[in-house]
Amino acid sequence: MMLLGMNHQSAPIHLRERMAVDDPGPLLQKLVDSDDIEEAVLFSTCNRVEVLVLTHSLEGARQRLRAFFRLELARVELPGDFDLDEVTYEYRDSDAVSHVLRVASALDSMVVGEPQILGQTKDAYRAAVECGACGPILGRLFQHAFSTAKRVKTETRIGERPVSVARVAVDLAKQIFERFAEKRALLIGAGEMGEVVLRTLRKSGLESICIANRTPERAAALAAQFGATAHGLDELETLIGDVDVVITSIGGDRPILTLDLASRALRKRRHRPLFVIDIGVPRNADPAIDAIDNLYRYDLDDLGSVANRNADQRAREAERAAAIVIEEQQRFDGWFAALRAVPTIRHLRDRAEGIRSRELEKAFARLELGDSEQAAVDALTRSIVNKILHAPVSRLKQEAEREEGMAYLEIARVLFELDDELDRE
Amino acid sequence: MGVRGLPVCVTALTSHVDRASAQRGQRGFRVTVQVLQWTAAVYLVAGLTAGLGLALETRRLERASVALLALGALLHGASFALLHFADNPPPLTDLRSACSFMAWIGTVFYLILLKRSRLQRLVVLVAPAAFLGSFLAALRAPQGAAPEAATGSWPHAHVLLASAGLSLLGLAGLAGSIFLIEHARLKSKAPLDRAFPLPSLEALDRVNAVTLAVGFLLLTMGVITGMIWLQTATGRPWSGSAHESWTLVAWVIYVALVIARFGVKQGSRQAAASAVAGFAFLLFAVVGLEYIT
Repeated sequence: MMLLGMNHQSAPIHLRERMAVDDPGPLLQKLVDSDDIEEAVLFSTCNRVEVLVLTHSLEGARQRLRAFFRLELARVELPGDFDLDEVTYEYRDSDAVSHVLRVASALDSMVVGEPQILGQTKDAYRAAVECGACGPILGRLFQHAFSTAKRVKTETRIGERPVSVARVAVDLAKQIFERFAEKRALLIGAGEMGEVVLRTLRKSGLESICIANRTPERAAALAAQFGATAHGLDELETLIGDVDVVITSIGGDRPILTLDLASRALRKRRHRPLFVIDIGVPRNADPAIDAIDNLYRYDLDDLGSVANRNADQRAREAERAAAIVIEEQQRFDGWFAALRAVPTIRHLRDRAEGIRSRELEKAFARLELGDSEQAAVDALTRSIVNKILHAPVSRLKQEAEREEGMAYLEIARVLFELDDELDRE
Repeated sequence: MGVRGLPVCVTALTSHVDRASAQRGQRGFRVTVQVLQWTAAVYLVAGLTAGLGLALETRRLERASVALLALGALLHGASFALLHFADNPPPLTDLRSACSFMAWIGTVFYLILLKRSRLQRLVVLVAPAAFLGSFLAALRAPQGAAPEAATGSWPHAHVLLASAGLSLLGLAGLAGSIFLIEHARLKSKAPLDRAFPLPSLEALDRVNAVTLAVGFLLLTMGVITGMIWLQTATGRPWSGSAHESWTLVAWVIYVALVIARFGVKQGSRQAAASAVAGFAFLLFAVVGLEYIT
């Protein structure tokens, strides 16, 4: 098994963009048509492009994959002196298995624990299955990766702690409001940061939004994107009285949300809670408004400090998740290694069955037995053979999962003279 | 310890009750005590399951704790039904029975609120309180026939209504306390506590409002039925005892709280603080004073 890939750590975005793939089917077909590659899965997201292959010749597969990256994957021709080794990484066997498990569990993501990666991994697997490039071995590996990701998600808290300012703001809003989706939000200013926070709030279910800005045209343009209403700054007091979440992100030397304005608005809204997310620099909300009951103000530093503490906690959770990945990788390695026993076991069974059939044929020729008697003797001998083989076959399967277990396979081949049959095959 | 072992422990602790009841031959009461023992055991398991669910952050255990709490409430309700249909129904005027009834009403109301708000994580607080209420009742069997002064419908109505009111106002106080903790955390900008995430402020405020409204109504009815009971027994609606005076003061305080909450529309934080202070005073007036005097 071999994996060749590049991600956000190994390659710059302009290079990753060149390698991005929309429809992996035809490319995978080309790969599995190669002599050295039996199965393949291509994984392409904004942060990574990776190809995982099952091969009987690691060196052959390596050459094929390098040519594949350089000539077939790159949308734009790469310069002749371009060194692929500098921007790619390569994993083999257990390391490749471990990497796939880490990717699916979001341990290799730019934001560790992010939830999107599992869906993207499933899409890559599905595409490979649909074009026939993914066979039983890689199929099993990906199923294992999905269950590992599920284990990581349920047994650790890696995905629970948001690390972006916008996600922290949403988390806090949900701690204040029970039915967050039913609340109204006001964005003061139409800058990029405010838009990012607004987009995250919208993704989290918030529907009713209004935007107030110094230049009403800009507010109207942004409002059109979000299906919101646009207002001028002169309507602030009325608007704050009606909304539950205020996001401030507007230029200016002096706070726009003053203690006086906030007090009047709170009185107007009968002291219903108000959540103020101040992401303006300099700050748009006067810190003195913290003194108002039922008003919760978080500025960029407050949100950033929560996000940083979350990032530290995520790192600790990532260590726990890594331990799960190692455990699951060993489990898969055991299964994969046990596959080595399959030819030996099959030939052992074939050999036993051949002896049984021949001896049975001779016996039937000598004895005069009816159909039912022949069937009974046939069943009896089959049962005897199965029972004799049961213990050694189970032991061979078990031992094959360990590296040292190869000795058992070799002894079995010698004792039962199976090498001749393997050679013939 | 398995689930089956818990009622055995509760039985051991309350075995003298069984013997006493058996001697009196009050079979109905003995069954009631056994049901209460089971109830206490189920509540205890619910509390432990909820604690384990929080520690391991397992949703399944959280759901199981809610189911166990509901089962406990069902058994608890059955114990009252058994008492009601006993040959010689005892009064519920003693403190243990009243505590048990308060615990039951509080649990049932919490389960009702659970349908509308995300309050599952409070099982870890509600279940132990319910356990204490039922356990206290299981310690001593009802004492048979009621004294003459406590016979009739009014004493029963008074105890039931006042206990239910006290229980719901207690829930309001509990929701208020948690609101104040969460409010202080949000104001201080401390990170969210993932080990024990509290319900949202809005959910707690709703619990506070609903329990205050219903609890005050029940308390008022409790006060009125108490006066009628006194009128029936002594010919006067007011005897001037400390219990009556302090309870009346508590009731007046609650009138002010209800007006502030629903009339003046005070803020959620103030309402939470009022609910905590109001319940502390009520508890002193109804229960604390009994011990002092």
